Amino acid sequence: MKKHKPNKITAGDVILTVLVVIASFASMVLIARATAGGKGSTAVIEVNTKKVLRIELSADQPEKTYTVRGMLGPSTVEVEKGRARMLTSTCRDKICVGTGWVDAPGKEIVCLPNRVVIRITGERKPGRVDTVTE
Amino acid sequence: MGTRRVTNLALLVSIGLVLSIIESTFPPLLPLPGAKLGLANIATVIALYLFGPSMALEVTVLRCLIGGLLRGSVIGLFLSFSGGLVSTLVMIALYILLRRQLSIIGVSVAGAVTHNATQLAVAFLLVGHATLFNYLPYLTLIAVPTGLFVGFCSRRVSNSLEGLSLAVR
Repeated sequence: MKKHKPNKITAGDVILTVLVVIASFASMVLIARATAGGKGSTAVIEVNTKKVLRIELSADQPEKTYTVRGMLGPSTVEVEKGRARMLTSTCRDKICVGTGWVDAPGKEIVCLPNRVVIRITGERKPGRVDTVTE
Repeated sequence: MGTRRVTNLALLVSIGLVLSIIESTFPPLLPLPGAKLGLANIATVIALYLFGPSMALEVTVLRCLIGGLLRGSVIGLFLSFSGGLVSTLVMIALYILLRRQLSIIGVSVAGAVTHNATQLAVAFLLVGHATLFNYLPYLTLIAVPTGLFVGFCSRRVSNSLEGLSLAVR
């Protein structure tokens, strides 16, 4: 086998390393962008089991309120930064208001007296792994 | 296969196994599964540069199989075997094709990156969560310093051994 001197750092080494670092950071940014909106995806508002409103959720959305008519009276839903809450409600004990913010798919706020439900639907939160064994 | 070659192979495999046992006593570098130093890869890189591609492949296969049996985890064996095999093949390819352009350091970095990427791909096949790939950039990024470290260690060793008759095939 012919002798070669493979041990001096070459320009190729530097280029390869820098490329890997750049590609890694670039894909981190891309993934962060792609999954930011996927945090909750959609807030579905139901009145008396009927869907009345679908609100797309995204991480950078500004605060906005929506009002729906429930069985007893109006309920106000506030949406911001990929999460939703019951701001006001025409019901006696305000359990729905006390529930606070919901942001993860599968979470919901239920106002039984006023028959208003806020439900978050969509993809499960990305990057959440229960456990990994090695 | 001559006695000398068998002996060298056994030595390199042992070096790799001992290094991975030593490494397993270290606390995890980062709270990220798969973010390992990859010390055992030193054995493969040395084998590649001192004895050539076939020796490197043999060292990796034996090291992963025996290491997997020692640790007793089938999934671990799959992960390390696939990662080791693919990264060794990539290192061999670069060693042959880009001999001028890449030194032992660059080859080692490429090996570390492909090792981590392959392990993640296999983990995906086993678990089936596409969201696992969100880890990919973190794993490739962490592979850069670990690959550099392994590369510098291997360079040190292979520089010292190159002149010895031990390394002559």
